[in-house]
Amino acid sequence: MRFIQILVIAMLGLLSVRLYVLQVVRGDRYAEIAVNQRRRRLPIPAPRGMIFDREGRVIVDSRPTYNVILTREDVKGKDLTSLIDPLSQGLDVDKDILREYFEMVKTMPAFESIKVKENASPGDIAWVESHNFEFPELRVEQQPQRRYPDNGILAHVVGYVGEISPEQLQKQSYKDKGLKPGDIIGQSGIEQTYDDYLRGKDGYREVVVDSRGRIQDEIDTIAPIPGRDLVTTIDLDLQLAAEEQLRNSVTKRGVIISADPNNGEILALASAPTFDPNLFSQRITTKEGRAEYVKLLNDPETPLINRAIQSRQPPGSTWKIPMAIAGLKQGAITLEHSNLVCGGGIQIGNKFTRCMKQHGMPDIKTAITQSCDGYFYRLGLKMGIDGIVQMVDEFDLNKRTGIDLPNEIMNYTPSREFKRKMQPRDPEWRDIDTVYASFGQVYDIITPISLLRTIAAVSVDGRMYIPHVLKEVRAFGSPGTPDYKPAVGFQPLDPSRPNPKVIPIPEAIDKTVVQGMWQVVNAGGTAGRIKMDGFDIAGKTGTAQVVGLGKDTGKNKDHAWFVSYAPAFKPELVMVALIENSGFGGTNAAPAVRGVYDAYYRKTRHEEPPGAVKQQIAKEAPEKKETPEKKKTAAVTAAGQQTAVNNR
Amino acid sequence: MVAIIHKRSWRDFDWILALLAIGIVLFGTVQIRNAQPTETYWVKQLIGLSLGLVAMLAIAFTDYRRLLNLAPIFYVFGLVLLVLVLFPGIGLKINGQRAWIRVGGLGQFQPSEFVKVTTAMMLARYFGKNRIEVLTIKEMIVGGLILALPIGLILLEPDVGSVLTYMPILAVVLFLSAIRLRLVIASAILAIVLIPAAYMMGIKTGAVKAYQQERINVILDPENADRRGIGYHTWQSILTVGEGGLIGSRSSVEYSQSGLKFLPEPHTDFIYAVTAENTGFAGCVMVLLAYVILLSRLITGARRASDRMGMLFIMAFVGGLTFQIFINIGMALGISPVIGVPLPLMSAGLASLIATFIAIGFAISVQLRRFVN
Repeated sequence: MRFIQILVIAMLGLLSVRLYVLQVVRGDRYAEIAVNQRRRRLPIPAPRGMIFDREGRVIVDSRPTYNVILTREDVKGKDLTSLIDPLSQGLDVDKDILREYFEMVKTMPAFESIKVKENASPGDIAWVESHNFEFPELRVEQQPQRRYPDNGILAHVVGYVGEISPEQLQKQSYKDKGLKPGDIIGQSGIEQTYDDYLRGKDGYREVVVDSRGRIQDEIDTIAPIPGRDLVTTIDLDLQLAAEEQLRNSVTKRGVIISADPNNGEILALASAPTFDPNLFSQRITTKEGRAEYVKLLNDPETPLINRAIQSRQPPGSTWKIPMAIAGLKQGAITLEHSNLVCGGGIQIGNKFTRCMKQHGMPDIKTAITQSCDGYFYRLGLKMGIDGIVQMVDEFDLNKRTGIDLPNEIMNYTPSREFKRKMQPRDPEWRDIDTVYASFGQVYDIITPISLLRTIAAVSVDGRMYIPHVLKEVRAFGSPGTPDYKPAVGFQPLDPSRPNPKVIPIPEAIDKTVVQGMWQVVNAGGTAGRIKMDGFDIAGKTGTAQVVGLGKDTGKNKDHAWFVSYAPAFKPELVMVALIENSGFGGTNAAPAVRGVYDAYYRKTRHEEPPGAVKQQIAKEAPEKKETPEKKKTAAVTAAGQQTAVNNR
Repeated sequence: MVAIIHKRSWRDFDWILALLAIGIVLFGTVQIRNAQPTETYWVKQLIGLSLGLVAMLAIAFTDYRRLLNLAPIFYVFGLVLLVLVLFPGIGLKINGQRAWIRVGGLGQFQPSEFVKVTTAMMLARYFGKNRIEVLTIKEMIVGGLILALPIGLILLEPDVGSVLTYMPILAVVLFLSAIRLRLVIASAILAIVLIPAAYMMGIKTGAVKAYQQERINVILDPENADRRGIGYHTWQSILTVGEGGLIGSRSSVEYSQSGLKFLPEPHTDFIYAVTAENTGFAGCVMVLLAYVILLSRLITGARRASDRMGMLFIMAFVGGLTFQIFINIGMALGISPVIGVPLPLMSAGLASLIATFIAIGFAISVQLRRFVN
């Protein structure tokens, strides 16, 4: 019996040793695991900042939507494939998409939750609630969803938001911002550039859950910090006018940019064809949405490209403006003796490069007004390739403009290195190359935005502002409170760049070129048809050769350019228009900008522009569509009137 | 005469044993309430305690010899209960086991707990004659049969956990009935060698199925076992015990492991884990100490018993109790596999509670009559 008593004590003694190990030695660790398994942080998404036009009209806002999610913690290690059938049936989600999500989760252990359905309908939410017992891991989560203007208005400027991609998550710059899988970030346009301001900071609810993941109580709530509102430099009235002009153009493809040359603020930036950014913020996770996206990607008309900053074209005769300034500045010609022979063209070796007409021996002003190629061939030869390179450098044409929109591309500009790269079999720079480089073809391939910046600089005596779309980030909170943040204006994204960069242009030189441009519109030049009495437009037409001479018909017609500003001697806005494959600039691009000038004139002068057909400009913010019928009618009428203008 | 007996009875009554048992039950009731604050298990446990005390007093003041002489009747009655529970109309099926009989107003009653007492009585009666010689083969076979009948019926429920707790009852009785020491040592050595060897062979030949192997692995290494599947109970219990720390967890009862239902069966099988979470190492060691004193008290009582029958019964009870305590707490601490064995006096459950008090009543009765010969 003593033996049994000893055995009893020994057995219970063994248990107390084990107790000591579990509770005293490892107690803290187990306690931590136990606490963690009953705590969940449910994110409260921060409302994203709104985007306004320069007059405070709403361009982009957010509305609350509901997502059905699977909480990650509750499905850890579970086989999700068994959920595919009931969920796809109950919530009407495509099985393939669910399968794809569940597959993705396996490789991305950091996912907090798995989206099952975005934009859940009241019916879906009811389904989730009524199936709480079978699928306790399902949860409905509120998420603000971005709402962009209808009809792709301003799509290329505002961009869009989207879920952070696995590739982005790998990048240090995104990790540094504390972004995590499932976060919605700006993926294009203003949304991308100013994402840090717009995004805000998510808050969270810390809750206690039971073993099946059902919420029992809330311990803590950290309120989200809302994103800050942005005021853009865009003027919706001009923007709508510009987009309408592109829609009504011959090929419906092109770009119109309008800016204030006195500070670089972009008033309108239209690129056509456009796309619906709501696709990315709302429909991309559906099967139809994916198909729509693939279609956009493969569209030969490249609607996703922002033509203002992501397309390069030969500037054609618009190139003659910086050429004229540089020629005079470098002394290749002088104000007193600026006359050069046209000759109907020029003979270099055995090749004759012709001019449109026989212009005799024009001076610089006439050469601009008549767009005399022969004149500029000879001016180019006088300046030489080095002179042209110096001009390119001075006007920053070999750099990005620094606009605050992502993915701006670089220009191709003439230089000896460029020719070596382009024609390795004939690497030597020859006079014929200088001729080509001097009238905006072959070696000159530039973005519309960089052309706009050049023309803007000429209009305001050489001050080159960085074009930008941010007017200000609105102040947050009230002054004096600890979380107050003052308003922030535009700052160059590259702080080392001067804004403006000043090109010293003697006033007399600048005035001469401006007069030449004024004559283009007002004194028998190539764009005489858009003349506005009492509102002096200075401009220059251009035609960018897309294919070789003789083939430039139909689909392969030349691109039509028109660069301009007004009023000519005290400029308020500068404008660049490019209508793709439409032919001569004077016929096709110039009338398009006239529509935007009309809108500007109405707005600032409060009267009908001289010589314009009466036009209705939608005063409402674009996303308000209470009267779609009415608006449609207005657009149709406007389109008819525009055709009338074109036919004149 | 009656008065004299009574006077002496009160004096010889094992107060420590009774009060210790009541104390453990009351402490357990608090833990049951912690484990299931929204349920009425703790009320039922108090009712069970009252019934148990009545049974204990009734038996304590009855001559245990008369009762043991009636052992075959009780034994058969127990077997009848075990047969009855197998009928779907009478027996209640929970978690795949038909082991409970519904008792109006009080919940369920588990006959296999109660039959432990009658089986121990039967064994004590059979082996209780004074003896000089070592056990004969025949005696061992009869003893085995006495055990085999209820075990066979319980296996039909099927409740393997309960069956295991019957084994030590016979083992202790045989051990104390002058079984040859050689046999004891030989079987002990055989067990130590054969069980692991058989396990290894089983894995090699595939006789031990993967899930069974997994079950063993859970005990060998609970941290790396399937924490969400087969190892869930063990892992959650370890967490619950660990969270208790030195003096108990700081989180409230509602947000405890049991309150949030992370710990399954908190008021029955895992009541010790709940105790550990609430009272920490300090409380746990006190509970163990209480059991040690209780068991020691019983062994002392057995030693003082005036006849072999009484001694054997108490020691059989001690054997069963010790084994059950060890398995249940071991389960909570992750060192024994999860089998549904209640912790005597603490787990919620009428049958276990009343049966334990009946046995304690016996022990007291034995003590009271140690000089009455």
